[in-house]
Amino acid sequence: MADTIKDVEFGVELPNFVPDTSLENVKRFGRFVGWGGPRFTDHEAARKEGFPGALIPGVMSQGFLGAMIHRWAPGAVINSIDTIFRAPVLVDQPHTITGVVTDINEEEGTVEIDISITNEADETRVFGTATATFPKG
Amino acid sequence: MDEDLESLRSRFLNKEFDEVTFELEAGRMAEYAITCGETNPKFTDPTHEDFQAPPTFVSTLVGGRQLPGDFPRPTGVGMDAGKFVEWKAPIRGDITLTGKSHLHDIYSKTGRTGLMIFLVTRMELFDGDTHVANADTRTVIREKPGG
Repeated sequence: MADTIKDVEFGVELPNFVPDTSLENVKRFGRFVGWGGPRFTDHEAARKEGFPGALIPGVMSQGFLGAMIHRWAPGAVINSIDTIFRAPVLVDQPHTITGVVTDINEEEGTVEIDISITNEADETRVFGTATATFPKG
Repeated sequence: MDEDLESLRSRFLNKEFDEVTFELEAGRMAEYAITCGETNPKFTDPTHEDFQAPPTFVSTLVGGRQLPGDFPRPTGVGMDAGKFVEWKAPIRGDITLTGKSHLHDIYSKTGRTGLMIFLVTRMELFDGDTHVANADTRTVIREKPGG
C-alpha cells in the first residue's frame, strides 16, 4: 500500500486486482448505473450480435482500473485516466487488472501509471494511463 | 464523410453542441463504486463525511447527442474506442451537474483494415459555476471500402 509519494518507487507493480466480472455484478451495474442492455446482461443476446458472449461495459472496465489504484493508494487522488478499449472484456471470464508506475514527480507529488486489463490467455483487452497525486508525507 | 479532416476540424472543433443536466443520487454513485470494486467508504458509503463519486464515474454520463446535428453522417461503422476522464473537484452525492459537449479532436489513423477516423467528444461537467470534470468519449469510425 502506498500512503505518500515517498512510498512510491519507479517501476513498481501495483498489487494485481481480479475484478468481479460475473453476470450478476454486471446486471447490478446495469440496474443502478446504466448499460443494462442485452449485449451486457445476456450471453445469448450478445452472441446474436456477433460477440463471443456478454460484454463488460467499457465504463465499468475503466471503473475497475480506477479501483485498483485506490486499493493500492487510498490517499491518492486520480487526476486523469485514459483508457483504450482494444478488445471486448467478456462477462463471466476471469480477467486481471495490472498497473506499473512509469513516472514520478516528487516535487509535485504526482505519479504516472500504465494500466491494463488482460484475460486468461494473457491478451490485453483494455490499456491506458492514469496520473494520480499523492500526499507528500 | 466526404469532407477532409481539416475542413471538419475548422467547422466543428470546440463548438458547443449539447447541454444536459444530470440529477445524480448518492446511491447511484455508491453502486457504481461497489460494482467496480472500490472498497474505500468515501466512495461506497453515502453517509461517509467525505463521500464522493470515484473520478471515473463521470464516464457513465451520456449527453443528449454525441455529435453536432449538422455533422456529416459517417459512412462507416462507429465503435467506442476509449474514455478519458480529467478530474478537477470532488462530485458529492445528490447533486445536479450540467454537461456541455463539444468536439475536442478529430484525427485519422491507417490500420491493417484501412482508414480509421477518430472523433473525440468532450463533455465538460459543471456543479453550478465550478468545473468539476471533463469526460471524453473517443469514437472510431472504420470507413467502408470506397466510403
